[in-house]
Formats: sequence, structure tokens, C-alpha cells
Amino acid sequence: MSLRRILAVSRKEIQHIVRDRGTLALVLFVPTLLLLLMAYALTVHIEHVPIAVLDRDRSPTSRSFVQRVTAGKDLDLYAQVDSLESIEAMLVRGEIKAALIIGSNFDSQLLSLEGMPMQIIIDGTEPEGGGFAVSHIGARAEQFLRETLASLPDFSLSEAAQASIDLRIRAWYNPNLDPQVDLIPGLISLVMGFPALSVALTLAHEREHGTLEQLMSTPIGRADLLIGKLTPYLLVGAANVVLIPFLARIWFDVPFHGNFLLFFVLSLLFLFSILSMGLIVGVFMRSQAAALALSFLVIFFPGFFLTGIFFPIASMPEVMRLEALGLPGTHYAVITRGLFLTGIGLDALWPYVLMLAGLGAAFLSVAALFFRKRLG
Amino acid sequence: MSFLRRAWSLSIKEFIHLRNDWWLPAFMLVGGAMELLLVGWATSRPIANLPMMVLDRDRSSASRQFVQEVINTGTLRFSSAVEGIDEIRQAMDKGDVNAAIVIPAGFSQQLLQPSQPATISVWLNGAESLPATTVKRAVQGVVDRWNDRIAIEQIGLPEEDLSGFFPSLRVWFNEALSEAFYTVPAELGLMLEFTVLLFAALSISRERELGTLEQLLVMPYSSFEIIVGKSLPVILIGMADFALMLSMVNLIFGVPVRGSLLLLFILGLVYVLVELSKGLMISVLARTQQQAFLLILMVGMADFMFTGYAAPVESMPPILQSFANLVPAHHWLTILRGILLKSSGLDVLWPQVTALLILGAVIGAVSLRYVRRALN
Repeated sequence: MSLRRILAVSRKEIQHIVRDRGTLALVLFVPTLLLLLMAYALTVHIEHVPIAVLDRDRSPTSRSFVQRVTAGKDLDLYAQVDSLESIEAMLVRGEIKAALIIGSNFDSQLLSLEGMPMQIIIDGTEPEGGGFAVSHIGARAEQFLRETLASLPDFSLSEAAQASIDLRIRAWYNPNLDPQVDLIPGLISLVMGFPALSVALTLAHEREHGTLEQLMSTPIGRADLLIGKLTPYLLVGAANVVLIPFLARIWFDVPFHGNFLLFFVLSLLFLFSILSMGLIVGVFMRSQAAALALSFLVIFFPGFFLTGIFFPIASMPEVMRLEALGLPGTHYAVITRGLFLTGIGLDALWPYVLMLAGLGAAFLSVAALFFRKRLG
Repeated sequence: MSFLRRAWSLSIKEFIHLRNDWWLPAFMLVGGAMELLLVGWATSRPIANLPMMVLDRDRSSASRQFVQEVINTGTLRFSSAVEGIDEIRQAMDKGDVNAAIVIPAGFSQQLLQPSQPATISVWLNGAESLPATTVKRAVQGVVDRWNDRIAIEQIGLPEEDLSGFFPSLRVWFNEALSEAFYTVPAELGLMLEFTVLLFAALSISRERELGTLEQLLVMPYSSFEIIVGKSLPVILIGMADFALMLSMVNLIFGVPVRGSLLLLFILGLVYVLVELSKGLMISVLARTQQQAFLLILMVGMADFMFTGYAAPVESMPPILQSFANLVPAHHWLTILRGILLKSSGLDVLWPQVTALLILGAVIGAVSLRYVRRALN
């Protein structure tokens, strides 16, 4: 290994990147564009969920209950219907996410404190709308029941109308539980990994064009070549390390409580480790197309689904939790959330830092080891 | 007939390419399915098992029962009992727990005094807002039940009458509330789209990058024959991939096929053709395979945002909702969910099918014109 040779390879690689303006622009801006897109599309605040109501009671009480349920911005009254068949048709066509059916003796049962006869039907094919409707209709029913009790003349009843447990829920770091605030630091760990896909391509590119043999006949060693290939993408990634937090801070107003220098250094460490993962892909694949397909399968999709950005790792099956530990993105997501939101330092983050460094070293060794065999 | 023969001979050339680089077809065929297996397995379960700390200053049977009921919801698991709020804060800083319940001293006594509500505090880790929101809903549910139970007791009604006050819930199309019904069809759509886009986009950009496109153009093939010849293998592999993933979704994840399988495959073919046209367009827009790959990443992820996987399209801002209508994957997912889960036929799905056909015709025509011009 020699620094001069590494730099020579890097310079060649940088020339490749810079000469190809279209690719350079894409490499630099695709992460930012995707971050923007996902930050908007994935953090939609659920409201205006369409529901249908079948009121079999048609009493003033049931009408005022329906009024109450659909008064807010969360649930929209799509239609008042007369039959179950209409509800079924609307659910099948996807026009409504839920339906509320009020029993024929709603008024009398409620006033005689026997119950609130009603049924909620939800569309079980889409994750959010139905569950949302159930919890919101439930909350309104609860409120309506209490108010009805309180309006009754009997003293003990109005006392019962008061809640016995006062639940106080508070959230640290993100008081309104705004999904953008924590999803954006998580997404950073995904988009920052994109240069790894490019690294996988460059090695396959050399092989496909037959220039790898030429490179190997020079005094450049295997490690020189791998590290030299890796360095320029580390630089490209570093540009994003500055650009993306800036965007998160200014555009999305995500707080940054940690130390930026630490963030920068740890981001470089993450880049090193994910780029080494890209090198492994490049070492094994003979064509760019295959390298591309494989890097989607082992770097991109797992980075999206399995690193705990959307879906908590604690809820995954045991085996998948182990797999998640082997992905650099998992550890980096903890680091970005920690530095953006909780403002912790190295004293708390060191296990994740060690994991990143360990994974990076392991990936690079595997790449170097098999690179020799693949050439032989 | 000679047209078909020539186009077929080009397809055979493509298959020979694939045989020489056998990794690529392997990834194309089973890669998506394997990935779907992993991702589907990890994400097709409810958010559960989240670590929770308990600070019980009351140490009464009532407080223990409350904690137990929270754990019984399955959303949270007991991680440790702590003595002070500092410990909670430290654990949350590190991201070790998602929630903490604090029960103050005197909780059980206050429960017995109707005049003053007993307090329970819950701290959430806002750095992971999705689990935090789930926890919030779960704990709120437990508290609501307690409040209702106490209220009913105070009114003097027997406890079995309590059930009359809860709406009965029916979930249509997904009676067992299987999480896989929500997640897996969208994930299947994503894998299918990426497979087809990747394969189609690389087919021409690869020839161009390696300089073999000129050779192809000087041969006595018309540009249309080249396009058809390039497309056939993509269609074959795309449909094989679809069949494989569909049987996996059905056999492993238990997602039923309630509608017509034939209709599903016909519309699947239409969808594959639409994505193929998009892929071919990308492949002439991109000058190198790397550019093609970055464009696919952009287009594929943008489309995925409108499949209703993470956020319902109905809740998006109006501009994004109109844009969603231009995304083939959006209509395809409605069709896929409709046929799989709601046993919908053309009588219900005709708006989506029409939209898909119109989009297909437009994208196909533009793509054909554009690719032919690039080839001539």
C-alpha cells in the first residue's frame, strides 16, 4: 500500500466522475431530491378520512352524535346511507375507509344507561385509514357518553362523568410527535448510502470495459486500488454530509442539538463502512447490471426497510434483528437521531461508533480478500 | 412473420447475454422474491414488543395491575423498573426505551376518591415518532377502559353491562387483522416495478455504453424490431417474477387471491408493459448505466410514495393527489389490493384500469417515438 498510488487511482476516478457531468449532477443531487420527496410524501398528517354513516335510530340524540363524530377535520362524512349494501359497495370501491352504524334504539338505550348500540366497519386492506377511524370514533363516543351522563339530573351520574385517571402523555425530543422531525434524520442514513451503489458500479465498470486488467498490470496493489476507488466517493458523500443537514435544518426546521463536527466525522465513518459494502458487491459482480441489481438487493432495500427508520427493530423477528445489526445504516440511524434530536455525545454513542468501524473494516477486508481470488 | 422472427432472434441474443452473466437473471428472477420474503417477514407484523421502563412510586396492587394491562396490549414489553426520572431520561437519550410509565405515590388512594382524578404520566421517546404514536394509542386505550369501568361501577351497573357501551368492530376484507395484508402487496408492487425498470433501462444503455449499439443499428433490423426484441425478455422475466412473488405472498404470508387470477395476470401484464415503456425511456435518456441507475432510483422511489404504503394518498395535499393519478403504480396497487383482498372485478376497478390503460398508451407512445428516434 502506498499513499502515492492510492492518490493516483483516486485522481483517475475523480477525472472519470468530473468528466461525466450528467452523472456528477445526479450523484450529488439525487440524495437531496429523494430526501425532499420522501420527507413530504411519507409524513402526511392523516385527516379527512371518508366515512359513511347508517343511522337506524334517526333520533335527535343519534343525529347530534353523528354531528359530533364528523365535526372535526379528522373524519369526513362521505355519505348518509340507508342500507348495508351501500356501505359494502362504497368499501369495495374504496370510497370510504370506515362506516359507522348506529343501532335502532341508540337514543333509548343511552338515556337508560344500557349502552350505546353501534358498530364500526373498517376497510382492512389499507393500514392507516381504518384504524384511525376506529380510534377517533371511539374517542368521540367516549366524550359523547360522558357529556350525556353529565347532563342527567342525577348527581352521582355527573360525578361519574368525570374521568378517574388523568393521563398525561409527554414526548421528549419531539413534543408534537411530528413524524418529519424524526423521519428526516433517519432518511439521512438512507440517502447518504447512495454513493455506495456508485462504488459498486465503478469496479464492475472497469471489469466490463476490460480496463481492470490494465490497472492490475501497473504497480498499483489491490488495496491501493480499492481504497483509491473508495476515496472520491467519500468526498462526494462528504459534500452531502454538509448539504443534507443544512437542508433538514433550514427547510424542514428539524432541530440539531449535537456537535456538528462529531456528526461530520461519524458520517465519514458511516460512508467508509457503507462504501466498503459497495466494494464487496463490485468485487463479486462481472457486469454493471448485475452489480446494480445486487446493490439494490443488499444495500438499498434493506437500508430502507430493515434499519429501523420506519419500522422499529424491536418489533422484528429475532433473525431480522441480527441482520439489522449487520447493516451500517442501523447504527448510523441511531447516531443521526441522537445528534439531531437528543444531542447526545460520544459517551452514549460509542457502541454504535465501534459497530460502524468494525463493519467497515470487515467489509473492506472481505472485498480485498476476494478481489485477489476473483482476479486470479 | 419475418418481423416476429427477427425480433425473436434479437430476444435470443438478449438471453445469450443473460446466460453469460448468469448473476443478472438470477437476481432478476429470484432476487425480488427473496427480498420480498425478508422485507415482508420483518414488516408484516404489528408494532409490538417495544421496551418500556416503569417508575412505580405507588407500589400497590392497582398500579401493578395497570402496568400489567399496558403490557397485555402487546405493544410494550417491560424492560426495567427504575427509581428516578433521571434514569428514564438517560435510557431515552441512548434510545434504549420507547416509553416510560410513571405512577405517582397515592395513585390507588386517589382512584377511590371520585373528587380528584389520579394521575399517570407517560414519557415517550419522540425521536421515534411512529412507535411513540402507537404507544400513545395503546396506553390511552387502557386508561379509557379503566375510566369506563370505574364510571360504570360508580353508577352501580353490573360490570358485564359495560360491553354495551363499546362499539362492536368489524374489519372487512381482513377479518384477522393481518398486518401482511397491508404491507406485502405494496412491497410486491415495489419489487416488481424495480425489477422491470432496472432490466428495461439497462438493456439499451448498456449497449450504448459498450459501443455495441452501433453494431446493432447497422444490421438489417428496424428500430421497432430492436425495441420488441429488447422488450420480450423483460416481459417474460417480469411476468415470471410476478407469478413467483404472488405465489409466495399467497403461500407464505397468507394473503388470499379472492378475485379472478386471470384478470390479475392480464392487468399485471398491462402494468409490466407500462413500466417497461418507462424503463426504455430512461434507457435512452441515460448515457451510461450509472445514470440509468440513478434515474431508476428517483423514479422508482417517487412512485412508491403513491402506493399508500407509508401514507394514505387521500390525506396528501391536493397537488400530490392529482400527481398520484399520473403514477401507474398508484392505480396498479388499487387494482392489486382490490383483486387480492376485495375480490373486485372490472365492474368496480374500471376507473383504475382505464387510467392504467390511458397512462400506458401515452407513456408507451412517447417512449416508442423517443426510443425510435434515438435508435435512428
